[in-house]
Amino acid sequence: MFRLGIDKVMFVLTTASLLSLILLDFVSLQPNRILPGTGHSIVSSVGWGYALLIILPLLFNLFLSFSFRKASSIQRYSFQLLMLILVFLFMPMLLAIFATQHISETQIHARTGLGSAFWVLLFLTSLSLIELKQKLNLSRLKICFLIILITFSWLFFYITAQLDTLAIVREYTARSVQFQQAFRVHLYLVCAAVMSSIVLSTLLVMLMRRHHVFEKAIFPLLNFIQTIPSLALFGLLIAPLGYLAANSEWLQSINVGGIGWAPAMIALIAYSLLPMVRNTYVALNEVDASVIDAAKGMGMSPLEVFLQVRLPLAMPIILEGIRITTIQAIGLTAVAALIGAGGLGNFIFQGLGQAAMDMVLLGALPILFMALMADLFFSTLMSLFSHQDKTSRESQ
Amino acid sequence: MFWLTCLLVATFGFVHLEELFAQISPTQRQVIYSRDSFLALLLNHIYLVSIAAIISICVGVISAIFVTRSYGKEFLPLVSQVASMGQTFPPIAVLALSVPLLGFGTLPTILALTLYGLLPIVRNTLAGIQGVNPAVLESAKGMGMSSIQVLWRVELPLSSTVILSGIRTSITINIATAAIGSTIGASTLGDPVISGLVNGNTAYVIQGAILIGLLALTTDSFLERLQQKLIVKHSLM
Amino acid sequence: MKPNAMIELNKVSKHYDGTIAVDSVDLSIKQGDFCVLVGTSGCGKSTTLRMINRLISHTKGQIMIEGQEIMSFDPQSLRRRIGYAIQNTGLFPHWDVARNIGTVPKLLGWPKHKIQARIEELLELLNLPYSSFAHKYPSELSGGQAQRVGVARALAGDPDILLMDEPFGALDPITRESLQQELLRIQQQIHKTIVFVTHDMDEALKLANHIVVMDQGRIVQQATPYELLLNPANSFVSQLLGGEDRGLKQAGLMHVADFMKTNRTMTPSDHQLAQIKPDDSLRLALSVMLWHQQEQLIVMDDNHCVGEISLQQIIQAKPYADHHG
Repeated sequence: MFRLGIDKVMFVLTTASLLSLILLDFVSLQPNRILPGTGHSIVSSVGWGYALLIILPLLFNLFLSFSFRKASSIQRYSFQLLMLILVFLFMPMLLAIFATQHISETQIHARTGLGSAFWVLLFLTSLSLIELKQKLNLSRLKICFLIILITFSWLFFYITAQLDTLAIVREYTARSVQFQQAFRVHLYLVCAAVMSSIVLSTLLVMLMRRHHVFEKAIFPLLNFIQTIPSLALFGLLIAPLGYLAANSEWLQSINVGGIGWAPAMIALIAYSLLPMVRNTYVALNEVDASVIDAAKGMGMSPLEVFLQVRLPLAMPIILEGIRITTIQAIGLTAVAALIGAGGLGNFIFQGLGQAAMDMVLLGALPILFMALMADLFFSTLMSLFSHQDKTSRESQ
Repeated sequence: MFWLTCLLVATFGFVHLEELFAQISPTQRQVIYSRDSFLALLLNHIYLVSIAAIISICVGVISAIFVTRSYGKEFLPLVSQVASMGQTFPPIAVLALSVPLLGFGTLPTILALTLYGLLPIVRNTLAGIQGVNPAVLESAKGMGMSSIQVLWRVELPLSSTVILSGIRTSITINIATAAIGSTIGASTLGDPVISGLVNGNTAYVIQGAILIGLLALTTDSFLERLQQKLIVKHSLM
Repeated sequence: MKPNAMIELNKVSKHYDGTIAVDSVDLSIKQGDFCVLVGTSGCGKSTTLRMINRLISHTKGQIMIEGQEIMSFDPQSLRRRIGYAIQNTGLFPHWDVARNIGTVPKLLGWPKHKIQARIEELLELLNLPYSSFAHKYPSELSGGQAQRVGVARALAGDPDILLMDEPFGALDPITRESLQQELLRIQQQIHKTIVFVTHDMDEALKLANHIVVMDQGRIVQQATPYELLLNPANSFVSQLLGGEDRGLKQAGLMHVADFMKTNRTMTPSDHQLAQIKPDDSLRLALSVMLWHQQEQLIVMDDNHCVGEISLQQIIQAKPYADHHG
């Protein structure tokens, strides 16, 4: 009998994408960085011809989510993936076309703002990509290739100067030096905080493994710190550090004060300790006792048992702790801009203060990007250490 | 209870400690934050977080239940992926991104808090429901319970501790994020801190920071107690 | 001290703050012995085993290996010359089968080619084809395969002594049975001194030539399987032997070949009798008789008749003192 099957997930995602394109503004034309722009839907911005470049692949995907044809599901998913890639590739192209149609060379302050339809489409298309990645069981390598391909298309339009009028690009061009510096500071602060917490938490874990009494003292303390909101902890560090700095020339000479990098660093490390210490301690303790027994029984020395058996087996969970810590530190460093630590948070808070949304984006998007990259980096590292994953991937 | 007492004492007591704060910021003319009363800020902070929490709990738990039923299970892989990946986004970035889309004020703050607060709740509810021993479900069905009865009498009670710990995480993060919400125009306990930082008035910063810290600790200890009670109840069953 | 004792325990005790886990145990295990420590859980059998390779240090008494007190050795080098296999295999989940087996040889500093040769040799000994198993990870093995690898790993450093702590305890009965057979076959080839812990008396009767029954940290009785069945020292031992069921257990240890009437030729009426093989046990013979409701069976070896056995002969069968070998 003829039965109409439907892939609910792709159907919902694609329908929502199409609706957002119809109902919401795709781009807006802003005369300068402060004044609000006039919104354009996708059709009114580039005309039907170009709009179809995105609408058609989406319609095709909608069609493919009904499975009345005899094509295998793998084929259908592959087609849908191809359509999604097309949507991703055409998005920067449409922006470039909009710019050439609506902004002349002489309007040096005019800029293209990204409308809500653009963001919603980006979000939903990414969700569809995640969904298809799971259905097609794409390997990490293929995903990386896709990301590079999509990034490359954006880079192409950026380098050929077709995206120059894009609001965030204008904003970046106006303060590229500050941006690069802020990006570096942000990265340094995060790296320094994570590195020092790795060292500190290793020491703490060693202490706790030696003397179990410390477990009862250290965990509640770290939990307590983790509960205190970041803004409060930053605020509370200002007065004591300011007092210390006022009374010590040495501290002043290395730039320690109530505001600046010092309180930021202390707070970042304090927050990082809990996930790191907890994961490391638990991971090392929960290695299967019979494995340790066998290792000892075969004549491994305590050091060999630790380095060859306990540590490698605990490694995925330890890395997970470092991953959580790093992502957390990337976000907290942004907040630390409030107490003068610098970094990308500066753009967010200055942008909010001046009601300049493009500047907020210039701060927030790279922070998101940094967090996603850290996540990708650590999950790749974790999969290298986890033998179970290795074998299950091979068997697939 | 200890933290609650401290919180109340601080809320009403800071006004009487003018001399103490004057020593911290000797150069400032005014040392007690006075644009709003601390009580009003505290209540508004709690209001924002509670509204967001109520919405996230309802939406989060319901959607997690939806994707674990037979009619919604197609959405399960996507939802669980998004719930775990979404936590990669720093809350401050989510807060900042809500402004270009929704503008300044209380509403975007509530929305950002709700969205971000959803993730741990969805994630934990999924983990809780999926973690219920299949043998228990099997025997519940075998005794003739309807699927609604299985959900209400077996799945939700058994996963309640895990769900509650998700709610606890969600609220802890949201109290912190709501404080930063001052920068996008919501009136919260973050106001004194931000205004103190802008004007170099350390006394304001300390007042705000102490209140935020105490609010977080009070809420957390309250939720912890609730969790303990649930655990005790379960071990009796 | 007996001249050829491989392992010698002299009044060995283990105290854990206040409680006595092992109480003044005397035990002498000869080179090539298959010694099984058997008892209920918590009787001190595992503790005794683990004191031999110093995973637990004894509180009192002396433990000697080849005449030397074990405390005079460095614990690591002591353990490297003693094989060790345990119930949950303890295989390293992050290493493949080959690397797991090569652990002790590597610790002993063998050259690479020798380790490789040893891994191949052991996998062959345990019926695990090298090509399909050497590079699997423990999580990809079945319970029985993992335990074979565990035994191979214990044998890898060519130790004189093998300690096994309930190695087959977690396996299903059929896999356990086949691994027991395998272990007996391997032991006939390699003649190690094996100390084996189990709570399963049937396993002990099947494997051991020296059974040590322990209860509450003490040795209750030690004997060959036959002696144990014939003269259990007290009610605890006979209960462990299955009480009245032990007649069948004893029959399970005796072979038809030793009790049948030989020099018999086939007569036409024999075709109505059920058949049995000479190396089957008397217990099986009894079962066949019950099933076919006959008091006589024909013993067949490779399709020709080698004798007959009757119910009378089984009932009167007296075990020989020494059976294994």
